[in-house]
Amino acid sequence: MANSQAVISLYDEPMWESIRAHDWQLQQCDDCSEFRYPPAANCPHCLSLDYHWKPLKGRGTILSWVIYHRQYFDNFPPPYNVVAVQLDEGPIVMSNLVGPEPVGNWVGHKVEICYGEDVAIGTVPKMRLIQPSS
Amino acid sequence: MAIANSLSKVAAVIGIGESDYVGDHARVRAGERPHDSYGYAAIAFNKALKDAGIERDDIDGLIVGPTVAYERMGELLGINPTWGSQADAMLSVIEACMAIQTGMAEVVALVYGNDQRSAAIQYGGPEAMGGNMFLSYIYHAPWGFTSQGALYAMMFQRFMALTGCTEAQLGEVAVAQRLHASLNPHALMKKLITIEDYMASRYICEPLHLFDYCLINDGGVALIITSADYAKRKARKKPVLIHGVGRYDANKGATSLEPRLLDFYRPAQERCAAQVFNMAGLGPKDIDAVQIYDSFSCHVPLALEGYGYCATGDVGRFMAEEGISLKGKLPVNTGGGHLSETYMQGWNHQVEAVRQVRGEGLGRQVENCRFVHYNSDVAGKAVSIIYGS
Repeated sequence: MANSQAVISLYDEPMWESIRAHDWQLQQCDDCSEFRYPPAANCPHCLSLDYHWKPLKGRGTILSWVIYHRQYFDNFPPPYNVVAVQLDEGPIVMSNLVGPEPVGNWVGHKVEICYGEDVAIGTVPKMRLIQPSS
Repeated sequence: MAIANSLSKVAAVIGIGESDYVGDHARVRAGERPHDSYGYAAIAFNKALKDAGIERDDIDGLIVGPTVAYERMGELLGINPTWGSQADAMLSVIEACMAIQTGMAEVVALVYGNDQRSAAIQYGGPEAMGGNMFLSYIYHAPWGFTSQGALYAMMFQRFMALTGCTEAQLGEVAVAQRLHASLNPHALMKKLITIEDYMASRYICEPLHLFDYCLINDGGVALIITSADYAKRKARKKPVLIHGVGRYDANKGATSLEPRLLDFYRPAQERCAAQVFNMAGLGPKDIDAVQIYDSFSCHVPLALEGYGYCATGDVGRFMAEEGISLKGKLPVNTGGGHLSETYMQGWNHQVEAVRQVRGEGLGRQVENCRFVHYNSDVAGKAVSIIYGS
């Protein structure tokens, strides 16, 4: 086994720099305003090559979740969760929900981005529930 | 939307061959490496030639599965074809039909071999197979999200949350296919299981249990597909005609799992269903048995809804009450599938479809089986094939 690693294409590196600064940014298309994830040369929506980096507002909604009971990476001993989150900006990202977990169905719960430290990767964006009461 | 109809009954399967899954698996588990991928493919090819009743030199088209090099496979089989290609199981069948229809070849051998168990191929973790083609298999590793099973677990968790389908209802897939495997001499896992066994089995990536995951074993499969005319003149056994094929790829947003999480691949399956049923002049009610690519059990309920075998949102009840085993309304994966027969990445499903149409299903034969519908949605490629007499 080994630790997990990030895929770093030409376009991923600036995103991970923004993550290390606790200010996760994605490419926003200059022509159609769609966000790109994963980062890429062109906009899959309108094919434009033009973009700027835009900080995320930091909120999203859980679409689904899983709990790992088998170990695949040294830096991820089970059990641990993975959540699929649709960001308010549109893209769907995978992440881990940290802190309190919903009881029963996780789908539809609102979350916000926070940052965690991974032994192998460094700073990684995570999600935590937005508590309606807080 | 284009609807192709010119491939119906153009081609027929006249030969099938498989390696000895059971014997080889025992040897591999004992620490041996009986053959490499080329060897398994060669064993299957020899059997398919005999089954077809033709000679190696009758072959003029060659399609090689994605696990070995096309060129080396052609060299080892001693075939200089007029046309050749490399593709997965389902796309190979479609390509063979296209090559035959266009006259590029008349007698096409499709060969596949995979030593994935003895070579310890990894489908999750740092060395996850397929990540060079499907970015989703490796891109989410910084969050520990790896293995194709987890991607389907994520998809099916949401499906259950939105539709009310339950884990116990999903368990019907593993239980039915194990029953089928128990009646199949080629199957690896023959011990019957119950829904209670299923629910008591450990989670791998919750909500999926151990029994929801395919086997990993070595083996090879080959098919001989020829023009319908050639089949009529030369085949040793009753030719099995390809009545329809369909394909629709859901590529948009694939790495973020959009087609899975937002649509459950449904639009792709619906487009593919329209294509295949239109080409064959058939509908779900005409189909006697269904084969579904089941790397994970949850492919089955999603396909049953997507291809119109039950109403949207009703598949949990359909599987539990109407039944998907040989004893139920719609027999699915009659050989045991990837979960219990052998994990030949869709190739064994083609063989099982042919056997059922030929009436060679032995103790698992579907009565009066005229039409078998194969479908798959591997990483968003919805592909359908209808086999018939």
